[in-house]
Amino acid sequence: MRTLRAVIRREYLQRVKSKWFVFSTLGAPLFFIGAAVVPILYETGQEETRRSIALIDETGLLASRVEPRLKEAGFTVKVVPPGWEDSLKVQALEGDLGGYMVLDEDALARGHMTYFGPQGPGAIRGMTMRGAVVQSALEVRLAEVGAEVDLEALFRGGTMDLRIFDEEMVGATEDEPEFIGAFAGALLLYMVVLMYAAAVMRAALEEKTGRIVEILISSVRPWELMLGKIIGVGSVGLTQLAVWVLCGSLALTLGLPAMAAAQPELVDPEAIAQALPGVGLLALFLALFLGGYFLYAALYAAVGSMCSTEEEAQQAQFPVIFLLIGPILFLLPIMENPNAPWAVVASMVPFFSPVLLYARAGAGAIPLWQIGASLTFLYLGVLGVAWVAGRIYRVGILMQGKRPTLPELWRWVKEA
Amino acid sequence: MSSSGLNGTAIKLDGVTKRFGTHTAVSSLDLEIPKGTIYGLLGPNGSGKTTTLRIMMGILLPDAGKVEVLGGPPGVRRNARVGYLPEERGVYRKMKVRDLLVFLGEIRGLGRSEALRRTMEWLDRLDLTEWADKRTQALSKGMQQKVQFIGTVLHDPELLILDEPFTGLDPINQEVLEGIVREFQARGTTILFSTHLMDHAERLCERVCLISKARKVLDADLKELKKRERKGLVAVEFEGDDGWLRGPEVTGVQRVEEAIHLSLREGADHQAILRRGVAAGVRIDRFDLVEPRLHEIFVRYAGEPEVEGPVETPWGGGGGEVAP
Repeated sequence: MRTLRAVIRREYLQRVKSKWFVFSTLGAPLFFIGAAVVPILYETGQEETRRSIALIDETGLLASRVEPRLKEAGFTVKVVPPGWEDSLKVQALEGDLGGYMVLDEDALARGHMTYFGPQGPGAIRGMTMRGAVVQSALEVRLAEVGAEVDLEALFRGGTMDLRIFDEEMVGATEDEPEFIGAFAGALLLYMVVLMYAAAVMRAALEEKTGRIVEILISSVRPWELMLGKIIGVGSVGLTQLAVWVLCGSLALTLGLPAMAAAQPELVDPEAIAQALPGVGLLALFLALFLGGYFLYAALYAAVGSMCSTEEEAQQAQFPVIFLLIGPILFLLPIMENPNAPWAVVASMVPFFSPVLLYARAGAGAIPLWQIGASLTFLYLGVLGVAWVAGRIYRVGILMQGKRPTLPELWRWVKEA
Repeated sequence: MSSSGLNGTAIKLDGVTKRFGTHTAVSSLDLEIPKGTIYGLLGPNGSGKTTTLRIMMGILLPDAGKVEVLGGPPGVRRNARVGYLPEERGVYRKMKVRDLLVFLGEIRGLGRSEALRRTMEWLDRLDLTEWADKRTQALSKGMQQKVQFIGTVLHDPELLILDEPFTGLDPINQEVLEGIVREFQARGTTILFSTHLMDHAERLCERVCLISKARKVLDADLKELKKRERKGLVAVEFEGDDGWLRGPEVTGVQRVEEAIHLSLREGADHQAILRRGVAAGVRIDRFDLVEPRLHEIFVRYAGEPEVEGPVETPWGGGGGEVAP
């Protein structure tokens, strides 16, 4: 146990203390925070006046509808009767006003408006303004024919309730599936598993290229060395994920409201809240990450152990990458049809389940027993793969020179 | 040789054979290393020295035969009492010297603080204290080798197994290492080292075993061996006709600097030659039995030691056909 602990600690500390780790762990969130904060600073600084506009409504029908829409999007709006254009121009030139828009009959007919200002409103603000005018015009037209419509809901793209029924034609109401969240989650799983598992390969290789393996192997059992590496690198991955999750939740709880206040047309807190996974999905994510990581890390350790150089390893890892990429190809079809028989079967296969099970669970309702079965197979798969990989590792780390052929590998597994 | 000294046996090999594919690296090797001795395992490159040491460490399993190290089968558990310096010795290049040594101490069973204490002691002893916080990749090759040696002895092993320990060291550091090895022996540590450098073996070893082409060709106490081999070689300096040198006892004549070396037939009496010389009236300035250098004994039994043999061990650079 002491040796295993020493191996894990060395692997963990060496990585966490490296400049690259600090850079990538803190750099990624800093980049995203920067990407969010810079527009806010920009906005609150010099851009304040550009969101302050005047509205001249020649139709007499639109102003009362356009004004609240623009205000909700963060604009300051003054409704001005026609004839004050010169005064507005002076105000705009003095910097008290961004500009003014003029709505005439054309606005009602085809959503056309004219904007006057020392400079344009900017692309995003322009879009918001056009949207407000179009929605208002539609509202007026629909009111003329006596139709009552929730335009906001229509423009947001509508909603869907699911009623899944079984053979007895009964069933429960399900939450609306969140495709974007499920897709992003599955991709994220793929990336983190690939990233950290591949790091295990380089770790195994480091001992061979550094010619230190023989010193170690006289005191550490090969399986201890392999397990120590996998746990050590995995802990580094969890540390990094923890830092990111922490930054993410800080951004959501503190940053998001601030950003929504500063740049309302960019941020829709409701939509973001909807895209976030629930506690159940988060737990599933973690379980799949751990299982997928151990499975692929063991494979990568075996690959690293049978190669002598970095270049060789790049080639030898191809079958493993193929296993990992395979499910990505089926991601979209499976999310379209999460309960098709082939999708169910595919999400039971240990090598595919980390990505596919998450995609299915995120994309729609799947029975709990399938999640249970898939996780069970995954963790049994981890044990099996670890056993085989351990035997390859044991022989491989002491080899130098040519890479083994498949029959040779098989002999290693049998005889080790 | 006596099968076990007063102190018992440190290592015992009994008919050990190891094959890699079709190549036999070690062929039914018997070996017995008494506790407390300095034992040299000699042989040309590719003769099976490294494979033999790996079998003793439990890194390789023999295909046949029995191995006993410190009274039990070799392996990780046994190795907590063994210090092993392999021929392929590297370092974690990105690690600091001190961290690396503490780690090596830990995997050999030392506690962290104890490993650290001993590390600093050894670094001080080998003049490396100022390098403790440097990464190992900043060290020269010789310094790296010193660090590796510290890693080998940090846990104060009863048995030291050193594979070509002197290779790559400059003469000054070779001497430092020799001194430390002697010191360990004085404290009762058994030391087994392999080398193809006969000078070190000659200075250090009490017993030597000579392996050639996977087989043991010689296994003896070094002093006795030299005494025995001395009988076969006579150095002569004289003035006059050389006819008296020819006789049934002499199998070879060779000029070595001022002298002439006579190789004698086994069991021949050198006195007969001397009498013939005196009878011939030759003025004999020198007539003595030469103590052969280990190098010469080596050549006599195994051929030139520096000749590169076929290298087919797993690490030998050749790679290829290897079984676990």
